[in-house]
Amino acid sequence: MCTVGGGPDIGNIESLAAKDYECLDCKNQFKGMGRRPMCPSCKSRNVKAV
Amino acid sequence: MSILQIQECQGRLKPAKAMNLTIKEDEIAYLEGRKGTIAIAKSKGFFFYLETEAEERILFTEPEDLIVASSWGVGDKVKRALACTIFQLREMQAPLIVLSKGHPASPRLKVVVSIGERTRCSCQIQPGTHPEQDVLCASQEFHQIEIIGQPGGAKILGLAEEESNIAVQKL
Repeated sequence: MCTVGGGPDIGNIESLAAKDYECLDCKNQFKGMGRRPMCPSCKSRNVKAV
Repeated sequence: MSILQIQECQGRLKPAKAMNLTIKEDEIAYLEGRKGTIAIAKSKGFFFYLETEAEERILFTEPEDLIVASSWGVGDKVKRALACTIFQLREMQAPLIVLSKGHPASPRLKVVVSIGERTRCSCQIQPGTHPEQDVLCASQEFHQIEIIGQPGGAKILGLAEEESNIAVQKL
């Protein structure tokens, strides 16, 4: 969940719980939030939290 | 927000109504009130890019999750802006640029967005006072309503139907 934009409404995004992931197919590493992680590069769901 | 506006928000009694809205994946629902408009669309299970000055984060969603956009104003111009924002985020995978607190551009932004399973609207949000990330700034008539994603659409809790016009259109 995220709230973005507007003067009074910008959330402190750094405080949101995000995990570091690695794609086991393309080795891309990324930081993500949510229940169903997917590699943003190759769209694979074959990812693991690192 | 002025003290008067906050008092108006607090004075409002919200009936415990639940409304189910059918929203197909290619549709957008508008809740148009007296002073503000909210647009709702399905996230289609897509992911969204959140960009800060320091890093990029990916927000993953479920198919039943929602993109909820809010703006202060009514009319076709506002609806087009809301639809444009949702279209850019979902269909073009445009990144959400997260400005730091106090950034001079912040007051100039016209649309705020919440993405996820549920969104609680508030007209009482003040800088630095809302750690909950499912809270979306909205106009007074939408204060305390809750918008929850469900298969085939959305459930809206606490909406006073007489204070808003509801329309579902093609996005």
